[in-house]
Amino acid sequence: MSLDLPDVVLQTVLLLLLAPLVSGCVKNWKAKLQNRRGPPVWQVYADLLKFFRKDVVISEHASWVFSCAPYVVFVAALLAGLLVPMATARAPLSLFGDVLALVGLLALGRFFLALGGLDPGSAFGGMGSSREMTIAAVAEPALMLAIFTVAIAAGSTDLSRIVQFAQSPDWKWFNPTHVMAFAALFIVLLAETGRIPVDNPATHLELTMIHEAMLLEYSGRYLALMKWGASIKQLVLMTLLVNIFFPVGLAAAGPRAVALGVLIYAAKLLALAAAVVIVETTNAKLRLFRVPDLLSAAFSLGTLALLSTFLFQ
Amino acid sequence: MTVSTALLPVLDDLNKRFKGRLDAVRAPRADEIYIHAQMDLVAGFTAHLCRRWQARLVSLFADDARAGEGAFHLFYVFALDAARGFVLLRVPVPPEKPEFASLTNAIPAVNWQEREIQDWFGLKLIGHPNPRRCALHDDWPEVYPLRKDFDLRTELPPFQGARHKFREVEGEGVFQVPVGPVHAGVIEPGHFLFSVAGEPVLYLQLRLFYTHKGTEKLFENLPLPHCVRLAESISGDSGFAHATAFCHAVERAADTEAPPRARFLRSICLELERLHNHLGDIGAICTDVAFVTVNMHCLRLKERVLRLNESLTGNRLLRGMACLGGVRFDFDAGQIQSLRQFAAALRPEFESVVQLIESSASTLDRLKGTGVLKPEVARDLGVSGIAGRASGLDRDLRRDFPHAAYEAVKIHVPLYQAGDVEHRMRVRIAEARESLSLLEQFAAKLPDGPTRVEVGEPPPGATALGWVEGWRGEIFHWIRAAPGGRLARCKVKDPSLQNWPALSEAILGNIIPDFPVVNKSFNLSYSGTDR
Repeated sequence: MSLDLPDVVLQTVLLLLLAPLVSGCVKNWKAKLQNRRGPPVWQVYADLLKFFRKDVVISEHASWVFSCAPYVVFVAALLAGLLVPMATARAPLSLFGDVLALVGLLALGRFFLALGGLDPGSAFGGMGSSREMTIAAVAEPALMLAIFTVAIAAGSTDLSRIVQFAQSPDWKWFNPTHVMAFAALFIVLLAETGRIPVDNPATHLELTMIHEAMLLEYSGRYLALMKWGASIKQLVLMTLLVNIFFPVGLAAAGPRAVALGVLIYAAKLLALAAAVVIVETTNAKLRLFRVPDLLSAAFSLGTLALLSTFLFQ
Repeated sequence: MTVSTALLPVLDDLNKRFKGRLDAVRAPRADEIYIHAQMDLVAGFTAHLCRRWQARLVSLFADDARAGEGAFHLFYVFALDAARGFVLLRVPVPPEKPEFASLTNAIPAVNWQEREIQDWFGLKLIGHPNPRRCALHDDWPEVYPLRKDFDLRTELPPFQGARHKFREVEGEGVFQVPVGPVHAGVIEPGHFLFSVAGEPVLYLQLRLFYTHKGTEKLFENLPLPHCVRLAESISGDSGFAHATAFCHAVERAADTEAPPRARFLRSICLELERLHNHLGDIGAICTDVAFVTVNMHCLRLKERVLRLNESLTGNRLLRGMACLGGVRFDFDAGQIQSLRQFAAALRPEFESVVQLIESSASTLDRLKGTGVLKPEVARDLGVSGIAGRASGLDRDLRRDFPHAAYEAVKIHVPLYQAGDVEHRMRVRIAEARESLSLLEQFAAKLPDGPTRVEVGEPPPGATALGWVEGWRGEIFHWIRAAPGGRLARCKVKDPSLQNWPALSEAILGNIIPDFPVVNKSFNLSYSGTDR
């Protein structure tokens, strides 16, 4: 196994460019389902560009943590993305870490995100950070359990191995284990990306915010990095879902295969995004104290999935 | 002096009970009795009237009558729902001893109104539990803008005074969360200070009057027709209701009445105003729990009402429609027809939106049991309108004190008991249905005739109370006429002023992320409160 530089470059570019598009699609489709015209799908790119051009305003109460957090959040999300197989069946950085590293990187990003929310000492940021950590405390174990379920079946915690195993004839698609693990991971996806019913990404009501509350003090390029980092994280989690549970069309080698792989991957992502949109439009947001209930359900599903791998073996 | 038969026993009882202590009793109109008495009678009089006759103290205000009568006057306005009449107790306050006894301990509903008087007239409150500044903020200098010797054009130097000190809430893990006065979104200014332990709210302090515009002073400096336009702008969402309440007061003072057709047209416009506000609120409540689809439908329906408003009156918010003695524009047969068709067409669409809400378990789960305003608290605070009817207070001026053309129809007043966000929304849903039915009834029964009569100058010194059940609740305007078609005093009472303190009570024990939806379910006007 060696580090394949073109692979790294290709996947980095994919992560950077595809992430805002997925966010844009979700926004646009959500609007369509609500009888609105909605922002164009590339609006998120324009927003990022705008934020990068703007000045940064930093609260006088903020310390270095505040300026450092956006970079950590962004880089952690990007690195986590390189650990996940996207268009090809092999993750470019799988040499450097497995699924534990992935969960660790996501946790690192979240830790700094919460610090960034706390640092300027504003009431809203503090509320957002405390809520984020409350939710993460349940979401993270659920995420790990769900992934371990498939890791045990594949006999490895290396995501590339897991995906390669999933492509083998031994893989049973509608195994109840996988259905439960998928459901658990889907709930985690909603929670981790701040979607209804956990958080409302479109609200202006500071008192109800979770993710957005932590970003309230950010502006300019810092805000751009935070937003971009958040959509990359969303893409990473969605990739996990589509590639572990639906490992169709993952390319082996060669430019044509890779191109086809990218197309199929994009189609799978859009289908998952559509599922997220439907959940978001048909549900109201849960009362904050009900969110841990929902995540406990994900956790229980993950546990059951894990136990059932031993039962069905 | 003719008093309505329903009020006669009340009057007899008061004469007997307070024999020799009532300085004067006059009834300029059959349903409006003025009783003059001294300050020491207020507490006993109020207690008796409230207990024996279930009267409600709906408004309390002062009037600077030093020029004519050598004293400030305090007016306590009691509504007697059963007798369909108002009793106004007038009490003099001598200028050499400018103080008055507080009723707040007995009737918490007048808390803010008493402090307003203290701020605006410089009459010192005695025995008030919290006599701090309210209507004028703490940094204001010692001026009393509603006294007659305060000129409208006075320019005050930049404020140097101390800032407001909020009450401190202490304890382990208790945090203060300041919100406002400037908010995200298109919202008026108001400061909310939450004391929270984690997410649950322990205490909420409100600070309003950021948009105080001196409206009541302005009324005293404008000719009457201009005052109608001023009344229209007291609270933008209740423009027609405020203007009509004002016209109602002036017409009563001048002893005229709008012709029947004008009264019907007023009722139609009031119902249209109610309808578009209720539609907007139902959607907004759903938005605050992130069920945006309903809001989009509600906005669509609201837009149709606004367009109908424009086709009927030339203005989407019915601005410019109200005038003294009637309404400014008549509706022709085609417009009446389109109104009836509109009501018939809107009903099924509205019902499908209601169905959408009711089919969403996650939405109902958020609304049920959230922001409960208990009936006894609502009664103590004198909460009016939607919020009152959701907490079991069966009051509606349209039914209890029919104004405009409401006597011609039978009104079903929805009543709910739980006082939570869900029931405040259900009151709105039921009232929107009722509005559609009323629109059809008014359109069907619309009499012919003029839409306006000339309103002469009210005789100088004449006083009159005007009222309207606005979409949010009871609106009262009280005027005292001055020579030359002007006003010596205009007191504006918006339901928001009455209901704001209830918000502080309703939020207790709820979690802070639920505050926006609780606030929206009251949807109180800042401008109407601040004036």
